[in-house]
Amino acid sequence: MSSLNFINPFGVRDDPGTVVGDFYTDNFERNARPGTVILNLGPQHPSTHGVLRVLAEMDGEYVVRAEPVLGYLHRMHEKMAEVKTPWQFIPNTGRVDYLHPISWNWAYAGAVEQLAGLTVPPRAEYLRVISCELNRISSHLLWWGAFVMDLGGVTPILYAFEERETINDILQIITGSRLTMSYFRFGGVSSDIDARFIKLTKDFIPYLRERLKMYTGLVTDNVILRRRVEGVGPMSVDLCQRYGATGPILRAAGLARDTRRDIPYGVYPKLEFPIPTGPSDDCFGRYMMRLKEIETSLTIIEQALAQLPSGPYMMEKAPKATFKLPKGETYFAVEGARGQVGVHIVSDGGKSPYRIKLRAPGFSNLSLFAEAAKGTLLADALAILGSLDLVIPEVDR
Amino acid sequence: MDLSLLSFVQIIVAVLLIIGLMVGNAVVMVYVERKVAGFIQRRPGPYEVGPIGTVQPICDSMKLLGKQLFVPANIDWILFFLAPVLAFFPVLLLFLPIPFGPYLTGLGVGDGILLILAFAGFGVLSNILAGWSSNNKYGLLGAARAVSQSVAYEIPMIMALLAVVFMSGSLNLSEIVAQQGSWPWQWNIVVQPLAFFIYLVSLVGETNRAPFDLPEAESELTAGFHTEYSGMGFALFFLSEYANMLLVSFVCATFFLGGYKGPFLDGFWWTFAKAYAVMFFIVWIRWTFPRVRFDQLLNINWKWLLPLSIINLWLTAIIMKIIS
Amino acid sequence: MLRALWDNVKGIYSLLVGMSITWGFLFSPRKTVHYPRQVVDSEILKSYRGPLELIPDQAGATKCISCQMCVRACPDNCLKVVKSEGGKNPKTWIYDFSLCCLCAACVESCPAGAIRFSHKVYLVTKTREELKLDLLADLKARKSAILGNVPKKSS
Repeated sequence: MSSLNFINPFGVRDDPGTVVGDFYTDNFERNARPGTVILNLGPQHPSTHGVLRVLAEMDGEYVVRAEPVLGYLHRMHEKMAEVKTPWQFIPNTGRVDYLHPISWNWAYAGAVEQLAGLTVPPRAEYLRVISCELNRISSHLLWWGAFVMDLGGVTPILYAFEERETINDILQIITGSRLTMSYFRFGGVSSDIDARFIKLTKDFIPYLRERLKMYTGLVTDNVILRRRVEGVGPMSVDLCQRYGATGPILRAAGLARDTRRDIPYGVYPKLEFPIPTGPSDDCFGRYMMRLKEIETSLTIIEQALAQLPSGPYMMEKAPKATFKLPKGETYFAVEGARGQVGVHIVSDGGKSPYRIKLRAPGFSNLSLFAEAAKGTLLADALAILGSLDLVIPEVDR
Repeated sequence: MDLSLLSFVQIIVAVLLIIGLMVGNAVVMVYVERKVAGFIQRRPGPYEVGPIGTVQPICDSMKLLGKQLFVPANIDWILFFLAPVLAFFPVLLLFLPIPFGPYLTGLGVGDGILLILAFAGFGVLSNILAGWSSNNKYGLLGAARAVSQSVAYEIPMIMALLAVVFMSGSLNLSEIVAQQGSWPWQWNIVVQPLAFFIYLVSLVGETNRAPFDLPEAESELTAGFHTEYSGMGFALFFLSEYANMLLVSFVCATFFLGGYKGPFLDGFWWTFAKAYAVMFFIVWIRWTFPRVRFDQLLNINWKWLLPLSIINLWLTAIIMKIIS
Repeated sequence: MLRALWDNVKGIYSLLVGMSITWGFLFSPRKTVHYPRQVVDSEILKSYRGPLELIPDQAGATKCISCQMCVRACPDNCLKVVKSEGGKNPKTWIYDFSLCCLCAACVESCPAGAIRFSHKVYLVTKTREELKLDLLADLKARKSAILGNVPKKSS
């Protein structure tokens, strides 16, 4: 009888069959070294960004071993895709990763367009680039503030939010929403930009460059921050590739992998932009990497605005809400703020796709944590967790 | 010192006034801290309750008073409720020897600074008890951090103050103030800049304020040693934190910034102005810097502050010997 | 040793730079909008997607032809349109704002161009039931407001 006793928070393991706490805790505690403390960080903890739970075995201040426990924010997005029509799933993609929804919009719309053979007019492609890069900047800005908050500095996140609000204002003009945007349609985008959008964006680019200098003075050059992040949590290219980590983490480690360049999509081949690689593979490298990416995104937006062609923003005879996917299978990947965002669609030609797999970069990136946090101080482990730029809704989907 | 009836009455009155000062200080500082944080972060801060939010701290304390005392399972009952009281009451004693004005001292003891430094260690005791008794792993870690931090930062603090004591040749705080002049260049900060700097750093460490707020680091340990406290238990920790801040600021004003002496019209207003300037500094750096890591915190102390304060003490001793 | 000392001096300088930046912000104007006393720029609200509303035609009546396209397109099943007897126009047009995800599927699939997003930012209700909006009544109220009549109390 006692072996089925799952909810037993104060139980004592008197016989080996007793399960103490939930399954994860029990399994983790069984493998613990004697004399260590099991610390349960989360699901409600100030620095686990939502509802991630981390089980940590602590030897004093040192983390002997740490293990993330997922699934507290599982929302069945993949299952929902199987019961809705392809069009009806578009708003869901904006809710998978609330910080960079437009990359998910793009991955999904791109996959459907690839499978159905739809062509997107050139103006829509440029609008996609502009909105996606603006959204990437806002995602990185929020990460910047949240990371410094993990390290104990509360003020920078509110400065980051000033810029983020400006970006939200700009993106609201075209998408109509400020957080979970669903801007892309199969064969185009939902609305055209106007003069106010262009003016605000052109004003915003030099303004953000000025602010980035302030960020450098306030945070990047700050000796306390430098000593907190330099040399902490190294993740070599080999480690990143073994776990399938992508995005700024991999680039900071020194490998210039970027979906925008490696598997070109949209109009990215027509735009000139560098793929920065980070100075080091530690937390500081990842920190600098994201600040560099903000600058890259700014140059991309400048070029895209200059090259913006006129024409329709939606293809002729664009698919309606009752659109059916043809039979087939496809995979489409874009570069999100956290790494490679991929959508794999299998369709049997029915009303809704047979199966959709969403490749969330945060999930792969999180798996590095257990490896990188071994033997670090608790504060370092949380800095590593913060530097991974996790969005838990995206990890759990 | 003879404890006559008069001095007994004096102590009672002083303790009552100091309780008033502590509570009033907490009320003012909660408001000031939140306003400064708001202004630095470009938002208005408390705004709704009372004119520009001035009644907010009183409403907060009313809320804390009215809250249920939530007690976690399997705690050590005696220590759990003793800890907040122990955090609050020793601070009362520490204010007694401080010369607020020329004749405004709670207890004119000759060895005032010894009294302060001796009882300052009580604060950490309450932190240990709170962390230990609340049956919480975060609390335990916070308590362990609090011990090593307080032990570490008390030493350079004492060393820095000792350098000033060497110069003035007295442990009496009124005497130390009396030897300083009215103008800023006659204060001890000019002759002891290094000691002032060391004291300034270690007072932040001693009062567990950001960037040295490791025992209650909210992004690591949620709230550290007072994780499990609610209602008045939490309020007492809060009160004693601000009281400790005020105390070290008063000591700083007395030792380095000329105490009650000022360019015009000496009096207690100068002590308060200087102490609150130091308080503002503490608040300001809290809302500017990230938190240091725990090993770095101890490294700063043992590898830099302590040797520097010893060198400073040596130099002061040698120079004083040569001059006299 | 001296190098470490110099590093520390540089570190203290970087701290002073940070402090000067926050000191500058301490006296800079506020960025927040204090809601009941101030409201955000109305230019921003022009693109805001509030709850749906029906677009009136010339006479102020609805353009809706009850074709159920929006109801079929909606991913959240938040619309309920019932055709009136013997006519094209709807009898009831219930929209549950609490379910709506503001995706614009209905707006884009409407063949008659009868619906759009309103810019009501300050919509507040106490219960979920009140979020079930009757858009025909809303249209009637707007029509009478435009004509200058005081809207009659709905029974």
